[in-house]
Amino acid sequence: MTATKLELDIRRRGAMRGILTLGSLDPAFEGAEGVSGGSVVLDLRPVEFVEPAGLCGLAALLEFLISRSRLVGVRIPGHNVAAYLERMDFFRIFGHRVETNVDVAALEERRRGNPGTLQELINFHSEDEIPGIINRISEILENRGYLLRERAAICATLSEICANAVEHGHSPFGAYAAVQAYQHIVSGGRGKGEEVLVAIADGGVGVRETLSRNPQYAEFTETDNEALRHALKMGVTGTGEIGRGGGLAVVGQIAARAGGSLSLRSGSGRVTFYGDRTNSRNVPRFPGTFVRVSLPRKAPEEPAS
Amino acid sequence: MADQRPYAVYDVASGEAGGKLMVTRGTGRRVREALAEVLEGLPVGGVLYVDTRGVELMDYSFADEAVGVLVSRVASGEYGDRRVALVEEDRELLENVEASLRQRSLAMVRVDEVGASPGIVGDVPEHLVETLRAIYEAGSITNADLAAKLGLNHTAMNNRATRLVKLGLIHRTKNTAAPGGRQYSYEGIA
Repeated sequence: MTATKLELDIRRRGAMRGILTLGSLDPAFEGAEGVSGGSVVLDLRPVEFVEPAGLCGLAALLEFLISRSRLVGVRIPGHNVAAYLERMDFFRIFGHRVETNVDVAALEERRRGNPGTLQELINFHSEDEIPGIINRISEILENRGYLLRERAAICATLSEICANAVEHGHSPFGAYAAVQAYQHIVSGGRGKGEEVLVAIADGGVGVRETLSRNPQYAEFTETDNEALRHALKMGVTGTGEIGRGGGLAVVGQIAARAGGSLSLRSGSGRVTFYGDRTNSRNVPRFPGTFVRVSLPRKAPEEPAS
Repeated sequence: MADQRPYAVYDVASGEAGGKLMVTRGTGRRVREALAEVLEGLPVGGVLYVDTRGVELMDYSFADEAVGVLVSRVASGEYGDRRVALVEEDRELLENVEASLRQRSLAMVRVDEVGASPGIVGDVPEHLVETLRAIYEAGSITNADLAAKLGLNHTAMNNRATRLVKLGLIHRTKNTAAPGGRQYSYEGIA
């Protein structure tokens, strides 16, 4: 029996060339819906560079595939991508659950620290695990010279979206998170300055269904995009309790203040919030909720001449 | 005032449930329970100072669960005539406390340190700000004197002050020995 082959949509030119983003996994998610019982192969060979959003999306996709197929194979390209996935703990989590063409033992021997990694791919299931995750990343940030204000922004972003993922998710595999710092701007071109990317994916019921539990939001939950836009507002929560539903709004403000963005994906909706504007579009269905936050670090200002 | 009323200070950073990085509702709940225990142990009229100066980070979920919920319960009278105030400098950490209290249409008194001049975090309706300021400037003032000072009739004055008492921002005492019968007087909580 031949294996079902799942393709990616990796850009071949432009600023996003070769990058494994969440969007690049769309054809594979579409193909995964039809998988039932057989074996399946995911071909990552066009990938040159993996960002946290792509990594968390890949983890969610593999969980989805492992739950519905007999055997999952992953074709991983040349040494750099394999070495990066190894450093991000990808093989620790998936090495024994999928078949790959990579000799993990050889990679482990040559393992080196990655100065930009703030949080390797981590799988968690409950709110109780979050303070430990935050303590660890805060210590790494402090050791790398991040200011208190920057640390607070990164940690508060991560803690709020982690809490959302495990609180509303009812996800069979919990949630995956990863955080990476770059020496350049990754999102939308490679400008001056640095950027920290935070990504989280869960396999839960999604934002629209969570908000639908609150009957007062009936008019905001007709489409996934409406539900996502509504979820960004202060105080919007599925439970209707006062004081709840502030986390995502605060994360949006943190990202906007840093000059970055907050992207949400759930169901067939995708919304990106920039502070002064919000973009929405329809995308292939994502089985869960996905959050990506871009926090640029400003380049040091050049002295006035 | 702080030096006249019984009070206790709870240092969140060194408290048993606390620390420097305060995140999640679960952590907030544990800190709130510790705060509530101290508050309940205070004599009537007492003030609990929640000192967050050693905390480096509070996310919204923690701030709402630890501070927002506690202030809401104090305002609803759950702890009788006992109040809470925040000891914190004017810094970014306050933003999530502010956001939680605004979301709940509540406010609390903030001081840089115990005994310092008070400020407000959260949502106080515009028309009550003037009343609040006048009471804190006076230290202690009767309803009649406050009404005269602000140019309001006694009933309107009483209504405004009652709102502030309910928000947990001032104390009210009944003075039965006042000329002309019973009269309320007000004072700040910190």
